[in-house]
Amino acid sequence: MHSERHILSAFDRDLESVQAMILKMSGLVEDAILDAARALDTRDDELAEKVRRGDKAIDALEEQVNHECARLIALRSPTAGDLRVVLSVMKIAGILERCGDYAKNMAKRSMIVSQANPVAGASGAIRRMARAVQVMLHDALDAFVARDVERAAEIRVRDADVDQMYNALFREFLTHMMEDPRNITACMHLHFIAKNIERMGDHATGVAEQVIYLVTGDMPEEARPKGDVTSLAPGMAE
Amino acid sequence: MNDMNLTERAVQAAEAKMIARGVNVHYGDTHALKDVNVDLLDRTVTAFIGPSGCGKSTFLRCLNRMNDTVASARVTGEIRLDGEDIYDRRVDPVQLRAKVGMVFQKPNPFPKSIYDNVAYGPRIHGLTRNKAELDAVVESSLRRAALWDEVKDRLLSPGTGLSGGQQQRLCIARAVATAPEVLLMDEPCSALDPIATAQVEELIDELRSQFSVVIVTHSMQQAARVSQRTAFFHLGHLVEFGDTSQIFTNPRDPRTESYITGRIG
Repeated sequence: MHSERHILSAFDRDLESVQAMILKMSGLVEDAILDAARALDTRDDELAEKVRRGDKAIDALEEQVNHECARLIALRSPTAGDLRVVLSVMKIAGILERCGDYAKNMAKRSMIVSQANPVAGASGAIRRMARAVQVMLHDALDAFVARDVERAAEIRVRDADVDQMYNALFREFLTHMMEDPRNITACMHLHFIAKNIERMGDHATGVAEQVIYLVTGDMPEEARPKGDVTSLAPGMAE
Repeated sequence: MNDMNLTERAVQAAEAKMIARGVNVHYGDTHALKDVNVDLLDRTVTAFIGPSGCGKSTFLRCLNRMNDTVASARVTGEIRLDGEDIYDRRVDPVQLRAKVGMVFQKPNPFPKSIYDNVAYGPRIHGLTRNKAELDAVVESSLRRAALWDEVKDRLLSPGTGLSGGQQQRLCIARAVATAPEVLLMDEPCSALDPIATAQVEELIDELRSQFSVVIVTHSMQQAARVSQRTAFFHLGHLVEFGDTSQIFTNPRDPRTESYITGRIG
């Protein structure tokens, strides 16, 4: 990748501004993930409501990124590394927007869960899982800024940990629901929250893959390690 | 809307039409081209790009021995057309240039009629036996250059009276009339408006079904649009040569990247 400047300095400014936009987006999404998990853990409906409302700003940023990237392509005809910057920025913006939606969904469910009896240990475990995913996302954006392929590759591997956490929670919720059917409502919502976080982990690896594409020009070939086994284990998912 | 196939980008022929090995060019003391090796494929458009003075036009002019006309120029190395060394003493440069035609940056029609401009090459090379055959060559050449419909009613008026874009297409018709096997184009669109440029580009795409086209251009977008293979020259070196889509999405050499993305290289 190039640290050299374009002869046309406005081109540099445009490329920098769209990248700054996804960094800002990522900041908002990371906060939303942590806040949603904290709202769940502390039964703070006000904070959950704040997360729910905050998603609008993330959506607006994505639209702005798409608009600016379209303009950049039309006016500047980016090629090679510049083209890959624009393409990866658009993809990452789409990924972050999706993560924002998941965080918003977590917040909505947390407002329902807070009405039910607490499920022992669940919200703390979810909060740790959310924290792990937020760090993955943060590191993926750091790798993007640093154009660091190795760090990006390492994030892809880390997603297996999140999948493990999800698998453990899945089993736990199943046990709680079998023990006492009154837990079902809360556990169903908690399960969806955990699944949302697990999906965000996948999206964080999607960002990492964009970093690899941005730097090398190729998408990573080998399949990343899969940790979510709930759909494979017989007797578990039924 | 149901056709998901993108524009045919694939190179249609695998065999090399012209092969250059270890080509060096000196102008007096200036070493203008340094050890260039290139295979130009048959029925393929190859674009040469690079900053001014990088050697791309010099190399283009080697391909039909136009540098012979420059007194200070010295060409070494080997250039083969269909396996035959074009710098061999037995090769007649005039005959060579009938096979390897050229279109220049500025339209340069002869101060003759449109008809005579196109008929000139076939006449001097004795390619036709009678007026009817010559008429047919003139018509088909003008048609291939997408100019026939615009000039068929005024073939005897001077070529210089046409618009710039028409003049350039007339020069292409003139180059095509000798049935060349390779067509060299040195910035053929730099003096044309966007419409005429698009017409010439469309024409180049059609011509590649019949022969190999080499185009020197300063417009990166033009190289990306018309060529299947791109060669990047810098300071007399051939830096990178590959599929056009690869050069423009993922160049291997940082100098290529610097140049095509508009950075100082």
